[in-house]
Amino acid sequence: MKTLVFKEIRENVKLAVLGLIIYTLVLLVLYRDYVASPTNMSQPLADSSLVFGTAWFCGIFGAVLGWLQVHNERRPDLWAFLIHRPMTRSGIFLAKVMAGLGLYALVVGLPLLGFIVWARLPGHVAAPFEPAMLWPVAMYVLGGVLYYFAGMLSDLRQVRWYGSRVLGLGAAIVVSPLLAMSPELWQALVLILLGAAVLTTAVWGGFQRDGHYHGQPVLGRAALTVALMPGCLIVAVIATLLFRNFLPRDEVLRRSSNYCVTTNGVIFKVSDDGMGQQTIVDLEGKPLKDEKTGNLIDAAAFNRRTAAATSFDVETGDDRSHQNWMLNDFLLVRAWRNDPDTLWYYWRRYGRLVGYDVTTRRCIGSLGPKGFAADLVGARDRFDETDGPAGTRTLRTATALFQVDTVQRAANSLFTTTEDDPILATGEVANGDYGWQYTIVATKRFVYLLTAEGKPVWKVPYEPADPKSTRLLLYCLEPRDQFALWVAPGGQAAGGARERHFGRVMWVARDQGVMRSTDLPALPAPHRGLMLEEKLVSLVMPPALLAALPVLHVGLWANGVPREVLLLSWASSILVCLPVGLWLGWRYRFSFATQAGWAVFLLLFGVPGLLAFLSVQEWPAREACPNCKKLRVVDRTQCEHCGADFAPPEKTGTEVFAPLQAG
Amino acid sequence: MMNDQPVIRTQGLTRYFGARAAVYELNLEVPRGGVFALLGRNGSGKSTTIRMLLGLLEPTRGGGSILGYDIRALPPEARARIGYLTEEHQLYGWMSVRACGDFQSRFYPAWNEKIFRGIIGHFNLRPTALVKSLSRGERAGLCLALTLAPEPELLILDDPAVGLDPVARRSLVESMIYLTRRSDRTIFFSTHQLPDVERVADHIAVLDRSVLRVCCPLETFRNSIRQVRLRFPGTPPPLPKIPGLLQSFRSEVELRVTCVHYNGATEAALRALAPAEMEQAPISLEDAFIGYLGDRGEKSFILSETEVQS
Repeated sequence: MKTLVFKEIRENVKLAVLGLIIYTLVLLVLYRDYVASPTNMSQPLADSSLVFGTAWFCGIFGAVLGWLQVHNERRPDLWAFLIHRPMTRSGIFLAKVMAGLGLYALVVGLPLLGFIVWARLPGHVAAPFEPAMLWPVAMYVLGGVLYYFAGMLSDLRQVRWYGSRVLGLGAAIVVSPLLAMSPELWQALVLILLGAAVLTTAVWGGFQRDGHYHGQPVLGRAALTVALMPGCLIVAVIATLLFRNFLPRDEVLRRSSNYCVTTNGVIFKVSDDGMGQQTIVDLEGKPLKDEKTGNLIDAAAFNRRTAAATSFDVETGDDRSHQNWMLNDFLLVRAWRNDPDTLWYYWRRYGRLVGYDVTTRRCIGSLGPKGFAADLVGARDRFDETDGPAGTRTLRTATALFQVDTVQRAANSLFTTTEDDPILATGEVANGDYGWQYTIVATKRFVYLLTAEGKPVWKVPYEPADPKSTRLLLYCLEPRDQFALWVAPGGQAAGGARERHFGRVMWVARDQGVMRSTDLPALPAPHRGLMLEEKLVSLVMPPALLAALPVLHVGLWANGVPREVLLLSWASSILVCLPVGLWLGWRYRFSFATQAGWAVFLLLFGVPGLLAFLSVQEWPAREACPNCKKLRVVDRTQCEHCGADFAPPEKTGTEVFAPLQAG
Repeated sequence: MMNDQPVIRTQGLTRYFGARAAVYELNLEVPRGGVFALLGRNGSGKSTTIRMLLGLLEPTRGGGSILGYDIRALPPEARARIGYLTEEHQLYGWMSVRACGDFQSRFYPAWNEKIFRGIIGHFNLRPTALVKSLSRGERAGLCLALTLAPEPELLILDDPAVGLDPVARRSLVESMIYLTRRSDRTIFFSTHQLPDVERVADHIAVLDRSVLRVCCPLETFRNSIRQVRLRFPGTPPPLPKIPGLLQSFRSEVELRVTCVHYNGATEAALRALAPAEMEQAPISLEDAFIGYLGDRGEKSFILSETEVQS
């Protein structure tokens, strides 16, 4: 095997050198971009450019390397020379994979390691670093392995190029975005492992039978079918959307209703009937009319009257369930402020603002609630996590709000509270010219509005009528010093909560507290009919995938698949895919177990399943049985209709047969 | 495995490509020792048969064994005992002759360096020459060296002489003869080169349009095919149905008939045509083979006047 591994390495070394040069150039471009801008606040190792550059390179290089490793020997005689080694085909496959993955690791690993070493050497990068920042890059480097096997599979399969040859790449292509969409890192890892396991097994199976489906071990056949499924799904969706272009445009019913607050503090219910017609009524159901003309007011005029809201969720500070691992890794450190000589970052690990000197590119110390310290931890004082925009002027702890002055390297207290009434969230209210006007603070029991200097404007109890009411919307009304505070359902539960309760609005005036309040009646969830393309795509979606989406919390329908989509998917699966599969199975005389297996597969995976089924199967010829005259498949020793053997070749009277003697 | 067991045995071996049968119901036994030639026209199924025997192509139905191993699952130890020379003599172009030898030798414990050097010397191959710079004949020599040096028990050659010049072909045949000096070795080869067959083969099998029609010792085949020349005073009469008739050639006053299994019945049928003269002409293997595999039916040597003028 060692000989074969070295042969493979030698054979593909040119491609490896080319890949090494290209990836080094990619990293050099990133290096140049970073070095060219001393005030650039990105951490190059956690920069999205590195992740995307690596993802693209690894995908393309992996696929080309895998493809070439098979293609080099795909000429029939050279393939025979390779396969006719006194070693198992699994051994030959393993040798190729060991060499290929070794080269891949070198090509990607060497430049990346160099880049990491450069970035980690003090004085080069003026930004904090955490090992977890490398996970996104690492995931896409691992993801490239899927492309490697997919490339191998594409060349190994004995099918036509314009048929289903490249479908294996679909599995790798589908996994790539899912890596970024996975809620947790371990899920992304599992995804890569599953994808790699399926593709590796499919390629291994292909090696057992020179790329043919028939004759492979069951595991290889199953893996090949699964590996082709994502590609089939992509093809089906693209074909459907292309087909959609030939159909006339359709009108979609989109019914929705919502509440709006006008600048004078009146709440109106705005309903859209789905046909573009809006109805605007007050809470008593009276339509809004123009005071001058007495006519019903139109949407454009109404929009000019609505007040702008500043909103924030009291739960987001602690609840990061809506984010995914990759975003969290990107947010381990947030660029905070860019002073002329210092770059400031909020470093989640230390809960402090950490400063880096622009010139020396070294850390100068950190700023916490108790002030500046020359190290990263200070007196172990730390600000709480914040989801506010970077560079905002305040940071908080559980009991205090600070105005951060990075120039003076000081944190000045604006507001304090007690430990039994901790701060849940804070928000900054900006005026028209983007100067800070107010700061809003939500504690466990109260909502405070402070001036920019920290003086209280008002204080109201925070008593959400519904536990899901976690969103605060502040409206600055006219005349000045009049406010409306809407405590509304927030977060992921907002959709369901609005059908029970739409929150409470309090009208507050400066130094007067709550003048009045009202609970907003529940509103029906927005209804939107499916567009034609959505209906068509539903027809080609695998029912099993649609059923899994809410469980996996992935994708557009992570919170539930519309009933109509499910119905269409199941309908195409039951009415089209299953009968076609059963008919083909009957025609080519599948065994009962094979027929049953495919039936279940087609039922669960619908149109992509059917395409995968058609892609892998190699249909045997049929010819008339001389005994019963019915068509029978040629890959059985006996006629499936009458049990007759195949007829021996017809005699011509010119045959010459004689016993042969051993030499 | 007992020594008197065939080294290759197939039962109903069949392979379809689409709706076309490339090999149909092949029942073949190749005895141990000696040289076995598989003959047939292009597309008759020779290479397909060899590829199926070596497990490089899945049979549509039927099966077989080689050195006692099932052809659908040849283990490494079986492959170690079988040398296989492919038709195109393809090797890794970037390797040198020496590197090819080194590469191959590491897979075969019984590698005989002397044989390898002997053959590449016979073909005048420089060890440092790259494979991609070799001529077709030189590449064939290198392939042969790589195939023979492991001293395989069974050597399978798929049309090894295709594209070779007469000198290279002769060298190849000599190498085959060298190998068969050791009586327990078996060579199974497909070819179109009938002089080579005549020189080295003990047994032949002929595939005609995917079907095995001949499997016998070479001499038996040669003796089965006869050519008879019939001279007539005028235009030869039309041929009746003659048992074993392969081909007939008609000229102005002559009829040349090629038959298989020539016997009394054949002779009587020909004499019934009342020829003025009737004699058996000597026939070479090549003529016998062409007679056997050529298009059935009657051919005429007489060109029409228009063809002569043109």
